[in-house]
Amino acid sequence: MSVKTLDVIRKRLEERPDELRRARENGLKVVGWVGYNVPEEIIHALGFIPVRIAVGGDDRLVEIGARYASSKTCVFIREIVGAFAENKDPYIQQTDILAFDATCLQNYRAAEVIEYFFKKDVVVLAVPRNFHLDEAKEYFAHEANEFTRLLEERAGAPLDSARLAESVALYNDIRKTLKSIYTFQASKNNVISWEEVYDLIQAGELLDKREYLSLLTQTLDELKERQHYPVIASDDGDSRIFLSGSLIPRGDRKLISIIKSVGGRIVGDDLWSGILPHLDLDIKEISPAGVALGYLNRTPHAALPYLDLESDRRLKKLQECLSQFKAQGVIYHTLRYCDPFTFKAKETKNVLAKSGIPLLEIHTEYAGSDYEAMKTRVEAFVEMIKIKSEIAEEQSVLVDA
Amino acid sequence: MGKQLFRYSEANKEKFLESDNITFNDGSTVSPEEIWHYLTEEAPVKYPSAFEVNLYQGNRGSRDETLPTSLKTRYLGLTFSARMEKAKDNGKSIAFIQGGQAVDPYTAADTIALRPGLVNQWNNGLEYGNDINKENLRRKKSKEKAFHDMSFEACQTGGYEHVQAGDLRIDVIAPYTVLRCSDISYGVEAHRHGPKKNVKLLNVDYPLRYQADKPWAIEYFAQNLRRLVNTLDEVTGRKTSEDDLLKAIKLHNTGRRLGTELAELWWSADVPPTNSDDRASMVSLGNLEVHGDVQASLSVLKEAKKFIAERVKNGVKGHAVADNPKRLFILGSCVGINGSRSEDAGAIVVGRDDQWSHCSSLVEEEGDPYYNLAKATLEYPYEQSIEKRAQWTIEQIKKSRADGVIFIHNWGCNTQAAISRPIVDIIKRETGIPTYIHERDLHGLRDEQEQNRVNAFVEML
Amino acid sequence: MSLSGNYFAGVDVGSLAAKSVILKDGDIFATGLVPSGVNSVESGLNALNIALESAGLKQEELTYIVGTGYGRVSAPYANKAVTEITCHAKGANYLHPTVRTIIDMGGQDCKAIRIDQDGAVVDFAMNDKCAAGTGRFLEVMAGVFKVELKDLGAIALSATDTVPMSSTCTVFAESETISLVARGEKPENILNGIHHSIANRIAGLFSRVGIESDVFFSGGVAKNSGMKNAIEQALKVTIVKPEIDPQLIGALGAAVIARNFAKKEGLWA
Repeated sequence: MSVKTLDVIRKRLEERPDELRRARENGLKVVGWVGYNVPEEIIHALGFIPVRIAVGGDDRLVEIGARYASSKTCVFIREIVGAFAENKDPYIQQTDILAFDATCLQNYRAAEVIEYFFKKDVVVLAVPRNFHLDEAKEYFAHEANEFTRLLEERAGAPLDSARLAESVALYNDIRKTLKSIYTFQASKNNVISWEEVYDLIQAGELLDKREYLSLLTQTLDELKERQHYPVIASDDGDSRIFLSGSLIPRGDRKLISIIKSVGGRIVGDDLWSGILPHLDLDIKEISPAGVALGYLNRTPHAALPYLDLESDRRLKKLQECLSQFKAQGVIYHTLRYCDPFTFKAKETKNVLAKSGIPLLEIHTEYAGSDYEAMKTRVEAFVEMIKIKSEIAEEQSVLVDA
Repeated sequence: MGKQLFRYSEANKEKFLESDNITFNDGSTVSPEEIWHYLTEEAPVKYPSAFEVNLYQGNRGSRDETLPTSLKTRYLGLTFSARMEKAKDNGKSIAFIQGGQAVDPYTAADTIALRPGLVNQWNNGLEYGNDINKENLRRKKSKEKAFHDMSFEACQTGGYEHVQAGDLRIDVIAPYTVLRCSDISYGVEAHRHGPKKNVKLLNVDYPLRYQADKPWAIEYFAQNLRRLVNTLDEVTGRKTSEDDLLKAIKLHNTGRRLGTELAELWWSADVPPTNSDDRASMVSLGNLEVHGDVQASLSVLKEAKKFIAERVKNGVKGHAVADNPKRLFILGSCVGINGSRSEDAGAIVVGRDDQWSHCSSLVEEEGDPYYNLAKATLEYPYEQSIEKRAQWTIEQIKKSRADGVIFIHNWGCNTQAAISRPIVDIIKRETGIPTYIHERDLHGLRDEQEQNRVNAFVEML
Repeated sequence: MSLSGNYFAGVDVGSLAAKSVILKDGDIFATGLVPSGVNSVESGLNALNIALESAGLKQEELTYIVGTGYGRVSAPYANKAVTEITCHAKGANYLHPTVRTIIDMGGQDCKAIRIDQDGAVVDFAMNDKCAAGTGRFLEVMAGVFKVELKDLGAIALSATDTVPMSSTCTVFAESETISLVARGEKPENILNGIHHSIANRIAGLFSRVGIESDVFFSGGVAKNSGMKNAIEQALKVTIVKPEIDPQLIGALGAAVIARNFAKKEGLWA
């Protein structure tokens, strides 16, 4: 199921670090951003090149990061700190300014540690815990203005409203196209896999945004030509898995490859590093506060607490996605010391159990040592789902007639 | 069975009986006679663990028995559980809060505010007759359940297991979401799936990053404080006025001033006038929340200052303190080292940043009390940027004439663990004082490995 | 129905032991158990050969073989590989159809498994990377006290006190145990504390999947009477008595599944 445009995107990704280097030689500045609520459109509209700093899967960097940020912080954060310490990642090398948010407090600490040890120029957007309250939104609007002011200082020019409108329109088109492409991966007789779409989403964190939109449009055209109307339904023998939980950044493909190796098919995700941030972003006003509030009003990141279970939009979104993508089970990925998700694993499992969707929590870090242990758990989960569907069809293989 | 228990010596009784009564919030008092009776007759039967001569308590067969405050803080600690039960029976409202925060708004709203350590203390005291082993086993069992209900990587579970099991009658969970703790807001959120649906939940949202310099952040936190007081009022059914808050601020400022004066008096002495644990239990009175009774804390604190002044004047050295001990300053949230065992190794704890940062933050008494309280709270030194927090810590280290600094963090305390190295780096760079970072193992019981490291550090000093 | 003359084998290669069970038609016919070596193919074959020898059979006479356990990924002798979670469920169900909950404590994993009346897995939870509650953990502790692994449980049962352990991490617990011995605590009281500490950890695991009677205890650690006792106290349940060595349950389940596959694939009617 080869989609030709994906090859073009892979090639463009290889060329991207050099391209960034040349752009910087020509006076442009690169802003590396980390955080769920960083309003990328503002960075883009100020004439910076936004690049998402999201590295994972390298235990060596995690170890290096632990020297600076302790071995007791989230694995992802440790790897980011380690990558800054080593300074060999081509995107980190090309970063002039860093934009962090404080959605996750560990992310905030990473900003402080990187600022202190590696003398990076860091701008931080504070994020309220009580994000859904009116006073919190007002506070966040102030913070968005402050964040913009700090970036304007570094850009040497004020934010132009017309340029912000253009950036918002561009990003809206990207999000819309991504959502259309995403539907194809979950369909019967799919020509693009979830894994390919996932890589495609993450490519957009690095490529030039206009070019990215054009490549997405080509991809969508190709898919439409080959598949016309995607129908979301199971193929025979599918174990339709939905991925939830801690982010899975570039470089970390351990769990994804395990699921595939034991015969599971991923059909959707609500990961911060996947489709979730693109799903329901509605910018109502072209201003720094308007853009930032659009971000804050999306399905919130798990680091922001909901004190009422019934009105939790995160769980509602998860359930909506499970139904949309006809998932049969959830693999809930939690990274070592990733509190936003580890605290919610049991609760999410209990909530989904009420609608008959099983959930398996996989708690892991970037070392390869738990590969077999993870595989056993995932394989047993896939077996469980298969047996369940087979029982449902009265065609049990493993269970006596 | 057969475990040796410490007993207060009758030889010190007469002097103790000359000390003051303790006065409580409800106006009742307890006399030194009653306290003596409790400590020598009742408590050893109810709580043998507190009297057990055990390595956890330095194998000590004697204590600072000539310091009445030592006995009184012990009395307040041992009666804590019974007093909380009584308060609930009398209809008092109790809130769960965060460590490292002041409790002015809770006092104003006539609500007892308990931080995680106190919630655990309340629960521990509900069962009588346990030795140290049994008490620790009981604690571990309930923690194990909480870890699975919340997260295996939770630093502290905030009494979730006791509140949701219905063992503790806590009405409202409403802590400040200060950065000192990485888990607190998740801990509050976890209560939403527990069976106790009538427990009110609120995160008092603490803004970040140069927060004290941002008028909109102060305003936002002030709004959070108003929401907090409204929530507490919903539980008590009363209406807390701005004047009530101002009175509470004044009362707590009195405590904070006294606590600060006491600490500075202690530091001014050539020889340590008390041992580590007595110093900590006296200074922590300054926040007036430590025993769940603001007035009781205040009355013991006032008297403590008098005793310490006397000891400093007479050059009295605290019980079991070595000659020329190495002076340790301890950093980090919710944890400390074993005072008595460290003294046996030739050290003494002269200060901690925890419970001290907010004790040293006075609140302006003129103007809008909510805004003033918000401003003072956002200025907590512990909650500032790495550089600013380190500079404040250095000042405290210098004032206390510390010889060494230990940064200790609990398993899973991510936000403290993450900045432990930068903080000690700056301290080392600017003071030349040796530093050491230690991570407390899961479940937080003090163990041999930890003591071995502390002792090695003391030997190095 | 007549099942005579058909043999099905299950081979379970774990981190500490390799086990095999041969079913003749529907009945347990032979078993094998050997310590695992560094070569998991060899370990599995050794266990299988012991069973074959005691049954007087050759490998070619087996209709179907299912491999399970960590060695299942390299089991060329097996027709199919299935995880030990599914196998323990099937094995326990074979012995006791009324079992709905299984505690499996093996060499490197501890599992809480819920099953239905057919022996299909309904839910399961396993220990995280930490080795607490595993055979390996107890093996390390036995090493500290210089006693046989098999005697640990009986020693713990003779305790007069329970010394709490602050750590269940194998490495930390080992050094803490050494410290407790140095402090003068009695070995049996420390071991009792270790068993209770693990039992509490397991009780926590069950808070994720729930417990329903009957409860079955499988895996090598199930032979430890002190652990069985501590778990019964922590979970407030009575554990069903197994008719065969509980360490063989995974292999037994694999053999049952082998029989089902053979039927499905038309190799046996």
